[in-house]
Amino acid sequence: MFSFTKEQKTLEISGVKIGGQPGMYPTVLFGGLFFKGEPDFENAKKHIQNMLSLSKKTGNPGIPDFFIRREEHLESIIDFIEENLPAGYPFSIDIIEPSLKIIALETLHKRKLLHRTIYNSIHIGVTDEEREALQRYTPEMAILVAFNPKDKSSDGKIEVLSNGANLLDKGLIDISKEVGVKKTLVDTAALAPGENSGASIAAIPVVKEEYGLPTGCAVHNVVEKSTWLNEFKTARKTVDVSSNINIPLYGGDFAIYGPIENTDLVFPVIAWEDILVSEYTENYFGVSPVDHHPRRKFF
Amino acid sequence: MKKIVKTTVIGSYPVHINNMELMRKYFNQTEISWEKYIKKAVEDMVNAGIDLISDGQTRDPFVKIFFRKLKGCRIRDRAEVIDKVEHVEPITVEDQKYVKTLLPKDRELIGLITGPYTLTKTCVDLFYNDEKQLAFDFADALRKEAKMLQKHVHMIGIDEPFFSISMPEYAHELIEKIIKGLSCPIRLHVCGDVSSIIPMLLEIPVNVLSHEFKASPHLFKIFKEYSFNQQICLGSVRSDKLQVESVKEIINHIEKGIETFDGRISQIAPDCGLRLLPRDVAFQKLKNLVKAKESIMVW
Repeated sequence: MFSFTKEQKTLEISGVKIGGQPGMYPTVLFGGLFFKGEPDFENAKKHIQNMLSLSKKTGNPGIPDFFIRREEHLESIIDFIEENLPAGYPFSIDIIEPSLKIIALETLHKRKLLHRTIYNSIHIGVTDEEREALQRYTPEMAILVAFNPKDKSSDGKIEVLSNGANLLDKGLIDISKEVGVKKTLVDTAALAPGENSGASIAAIPVVKEEYGLPTGCAVHNVVEKSTWLNEFKTARKTVDVSSNINIPLYGGDFAIYGPIENTDLVFPVIAWEDILVSEYTENYFGVSPVDHHPRRKFF
Repeated sequence: MKKIVKTTVIGSYPVHINNMELMRKYFNQTEISWEKYIKKAVEDMVNAGIDLISDGQTRDPFVKIFFRKLKGCRIRDRAEVIDKVEHVEPITVEDQKYVKTLLPKDRELIGLITGPYTLTKTCVDLFYNDEKQLAFDFADALRKEAKMLQKHVHMIGIDEPFFSISMPEYAHELIEKIIKGLSCPIRLHVCGDVSSIIPMLLEIPVNVLSHEFKASPHLFKIFKEYSFNQQICLGSVRSDKLQVESVKEIINHIEKGIETFDGRISQIAPDCGLRLLPRDVAFQKLKNLVKAKESIMVW
């Protein structure tokens, strides 16, 4: 538990604040929907309600992260967002293919939703066409995935953010600025076990100290890819959920915690960790938690 | 000339890296292999008819390849030395082993090492505060790499472009530290205008000296003033110009080289690495180089 010497930015999207010194703001929790591609809207409704309810109870903001894999699902998912999220509530769209990302941006622009959109994500695969689309239809916030295939350590993540690691003409941070995205989060790119998986956690304080940007990761991916855990089937979920504790412990600001089905477990676990961090950072560094911080709710 | 002259490259070759494909592997958490990029570079060199082939240095710019794997170095926004420089693992050896599996029997392989002085001059030293000591520690690390490399290649090329900018008085000692006791022939490549350092270069006990004779044709006249033992790698096409030299133009250039060096020309190559050229231009330059050599062989 520590405090950064570099000034830490706090970013806001539709009332949700993210970033700052450890212990100041509660960890923001991204829960994924529609991983399998085919949207199950009925189920999604229940899970989002549950996320909102737990968010209110713990103080940890919950952001639904919508996986969109096929163009034919795009309109219906956006309809769902408009109809089922509270008015003005932020959400993130998680799309891999650049061509679909471009269509999604245009659609979100037409539906006047870009001010609530967290674009997940900008990375080394960004195309010129995607950059043009981002410039034309700029989302309120974007996640930069600091994956560097040449160097999976914290240094490699800084390299790809700052200069593109000779895979891009410039670093991801400059690209996001160039296209006009004013609010960026850094995802430290969790990798499978054996692929320097710990680096995504170790990189959190490194990135925050370097740039002062809100930083986090999807560390649950490490657990998901573990074959070793097959030996401990009943422990898998516990390990998956608890792996997210590393993020606030290392000064991180958000956790992309995987399937929204894990909400019931993730929110109290992270709220608990946020309380521990806040108790120390307030006492030692004088960092006071905000009013909706879990520590204010439970103590 | 027929028996001894080989067409070759200085090092790097332009290959398009498919960043989105790398990202898909990240999202699927599958292993990333660089072999397809090495293969593309090597196939182009083979298809162009080059005799002495490199791995194309596709992974990184020629200095970063070494900074990335030497202990004591790190690459973030820039290359930095943060601890004592040491060779702790093979840097280029595995790629050379792979290239050997791709080469037809009548082709040979040159392994490439970026020189210690160039490494010293292209990093930010946060540890030594002693340029000479840093250069010698780089040389010591590179000697270990060269010892490993010599088992797998027909020749080792040391690239020291910074000698043409500021050649240190210890240059001879530095290169000797790397090559002493090696059993394979060594080429020293120094690009840029070397006219003022020729006497110092000629004292370095390498087998082949390689320079940018195409971009700096005045070197012919200056070299004529000296007698020496080394063979010459004759830079014969520009590596910084998009215009593809015609076969006739290259033949004329080689003839000038023959006038100057007589039987000392053992290699004909581009002036420098081709990394910054479009792939089709680089390929055509190599093809014309080969055709020019073949024409001269007929004479």
